[in-house]
Amino acid sequence: MLLDFARLGPWRVALILIALLVGAYLLLPILLIIALSFGSSQWLQFPPPGWTLRWYEELFEDPEWIASFLTSFKIAAVVTVLSVGIGLMASFGLTRGTFRGREALRALFLTPMILPVVVLAVALYAFFLRLHLNGTFFGFVLAHLVIALPFSIIAISNALERFDRDIETAAIVCGASPLEAKIRVTLPGIRLGLISAAIFSFLASWDEVVIAIFMASPDLQTLPVRIYGTLRQDLSPVIAAVSTLLIALTAGLMALAAFFRKDARS
Amino acid sequence: MTFLEISNISKTFGKVAAVNDVSLEITQGEFVTFLGPSGSGKSTTLYMIAGFFEPTAGDVRLEGRSILAEPSNKRNIGMVFQRYTLFPHLSVAENVAFPLRVRRRPAGEIARKVEEMLALVRLESFADRMPAQLSGGQQQRVALARALAYNPPLLLMDEPLSALDKKLREEIQDEIRRIHRQTGVTILYVTHDQEEALSLSDRIALFNQGRIEQLGKGRELYDAPRTRFVADFIGHSNFIDCAITRSEGGSADIVLPDGGTLNGISLHGAAVAGARAGLMIRPDRLRFSPLGEGAEPGIDAVLTDATFIGETYHVVLATGWGASVNVRIPASRIRPQDLTMGTHVRLHWEAGDARLFGQ
Amino acid sequence: MTVTDVPIATPSPVLAAARRRGRGLAPVLPALALIVVVFVIPVLALLLRSVLEPEPGLQNYAAFFASTTYLKVLGNTFLVAGTVTVATVLLGFPVAWFLAIAPSFWSRLLFAIVILSMWTNLLARTYAWMVLLQRTGIINRTLMEIGLISEPLPLINNLVGVTIGMTYIMLPFMILPLHATIRSIDPAIFQAASLCGASRFQAFTRVMLPLTASGIAAGALMVFVMSLGYFITPALLGGTSNMMLAELIAQLVQSLLDWGLAGAAALVLLVITLAIYMVQLRFFGFGQARG
Repeated sequence: MLLDFARLGPWRVALILIALLVGAYLLLPILLIIALSFGSSQWLQFPPPGWTLRWYEELFEDPEWIASFLTSFKIAAVVTVLSVGIGLMASFGLTRGTFRGREALRALFLTPMILPVVVLAVALYAFFLRLHLNGTFFGFVLAHLVIALPFSIIAISNALERFDRDIETAAIVCGASPLEAKIRVTLPGIRLGLISAAIFSFLASWDEVVIAIFMASPDLQTLPVRIYGTLRQDLSPVIAAVSTLLIALTAGLMALAAFFRKDARS
Repeated sequence: MTFLEISNISKTFGKVAAVNDVSLEITQGEFVTFLGPSGSGKSTTLYMIAGFFEPTAGDVRLEGRSILAEPSNKRNIGMVFQRYTLFPHLSVAENVAFPLRVRRRPAGEIARKVEEMLALVRLESFADRMPAQLSGGQQQRVALARALAYNPPLLLMDEPLSALDKKLREEIQDEIRRIHRQTGVTILYVTHDQEEALSLSDRIALFNQGRIEQLGKGRELYDAPRTRFVADFIGHSNFIDCAITRSEGGSADIVLPDGGTLNGISLHGAAVAGARAGLMIRPDRLRFSPLGEGAEPGIDAVLTDATFIGETYHVVLATGWGASVNVRIPASRIRPQDLTMGTHVRLHWEAGDARLFGQ
Repeated sequence: MTVTDVPIATPSPVLAAARRRGRGLAPVLPALALIVVVFVIPVLALLLRSVLEPEPGLQNYAAFFASTTYLKVLGNTFLVAGTVTVATVLLGFPVAWFLAIAPSFWSRLLFAIVILSMWTNLLARTYAWMVLLQRTGIINRTLMEIGLISEPLPLINNLVGVTIGMTYIMLPFMILPLHATIRSIDPAIFQAASLCGASRFQAFTRVMLPLTASGIAAGALMVFVMSLGYFITPALLGGTSNMMLAELIAQLVQSLLDWGLAGAAALVLLVITLAIYMVQLRFFGFGQARG
């Protein structure tokens, strides 16, 4: 009755209405940004009086935006590699280790995910002041690594726990050394976990803004920091263009994740 | 000549002795099964041979050389696991090729060997399939091909059929028997299923509480169990409580709870006069006839239940003191009218079919 | 959005017994070093400053709780977080329900929208609401054009704007765990309820709500606790006169350089956050907390 859409009676109308409303609430702002990024109005009139690529041109001709884009990308790329590598090792230890306090350690590794970011941002800002790491590439990488690592550990640990360890044992009995068995059998076996870990680590760094606001220097600004700084001054349509590109990137990564999931089922 | 020699190995986990002083000699080409209930030490013994566990004491020698110092991947032993352990990201052919690739064999030899192995398990046409596209039975056959691809002198099988349903199990049993004959590989097989053990093996080692309770051909274990555990585990048995009145050499006289006496029954295990014992007789070795017909010694009982189960009747009788006794009789040897409930009968048996186990 | 792998396997019986205690710590060490150096030490150092600066003692906490300004910030924080939580429950429950039972095309479409919205850059989404809610924004202009209002409504730079924007951002975090909860209910339960004589309304209040209560509570706690510490959206959609706690901490550090008080405010936020997570762990377990 209540879980049968066809037999929901008058409740069905209410449910469809709310779903429609919330769907619009969630989707329209995103569509609005995309539309405005192609709109000709400097003051974000809607519907736009005309269409233009002017804001994209402004964006791509501004070396500061390009620099921020590259900075964000480099940081996110380095963070992704380190996060997956460190996360992979940690996950092996957490799922297969027999040392005491494994659960406590797992909880500690996940804490950065549940703690308010602003606390970490302020704390790291103070700490990096002393180490002269604020405004440095290395500082950004370290900070974002702390944010990204929990995603890596969750994704890879889950995959490792689902991976039948007897398969690795079988590889060893077949003559592979323990390391060779891990590389040739276990890593391919958990590849979807590794891909998830990479995607989430990348997004965690790429989208991170709070810590970055504190740590950024005029010379080293990630993309989110530049967006935030611009937004505090005015609602330039250039931001709509940047946002549209970011939405496209997110949608692309989501499609990639969905593709790998489907691939796993076939 | 002894091919694999297991001498006095033990394994303790903490304070628990999982395997306790087990010794066993196996000749080349033999098919030996470790049979026993779970926790009896059969798998632990196998894992020590495979190199997953280090024995607490004892030695394992293959062709006269101790293998204990070698890690699993250097022992050159084949193994088939309980679960399907095919590498999920590799095709059937690549799975079979894996042990040869890690041994850095030339490509031509690998291709030839893979073909040969897939032919052996009759899966030639599945070479390019992925493991997920195979049935459970096919996956275990590929696992078998993979385990044999590098010509290991010894193949270990750890309950390889337990994940399959009954029909498939029987099918793969035939397959394993054929492959054993064809390749002549020495096989150590672990199972808790006695039918599997009886139908496959040359010899069975029956494990109980970390020890080998009895080692021998299946028929020996069935016909001449040396302990009550063996008699109970292999096949069906009736155990009738009794007390020993006289014991001498390998035979004893007993008194039953109703005061009846029986003389000269073969006795296993130490038992002195006055001790309690169990009189073991297989249900298919028991006969009964109406009271008063002939005067064979035996036990008086009342017929309480009879079920036709195809080919045989399963008959339940109650003794004077309330114990129940099971009898199996071929349908051809009894008429339904002889199976009236409440009939008083005398149970009897051939002298060699009763065995007495001290408690 | 977790990507799952290969068939589920139980832990290996082969090797379980062979494990020796105390193994496998080494590979965890790089992660441990990172977390200790770049997370534990800085956070503890910040909290320590709250009792050490400008001089040892609890004066920062006394100042925090004595100031009506700061207490108002705390009040704002709870007000916004509470309102956002209630709003997400009211909107999220029907949506999660719809997702669980609607024809596949529609539920997949809506599900994709929820996921897309969740993973779209936070600043992009906040920007959209800044555009929508501003004085001359689409919402105000539309309302004026249809004659509902004559003056633009103050929708931005106040708590109204913050609440609207945060509800938008938190909705997916409510919808996804609730969706999982509702999907785990066996539809036959409602056939049974119906045969027992329950009306739709009775089936809803007596069967559906109790069965989903733990999911609602888990989602609500998570949304509440995330809202408490949110920084970006309040900073961009809110006004200077009605701050939330995270903004206050940032401001104490950036404008006032009052590290002691910032540390105290951070500890207050941490204690509230961890207390709520403890409740969550105690009653629902960690897995459900993340949906």
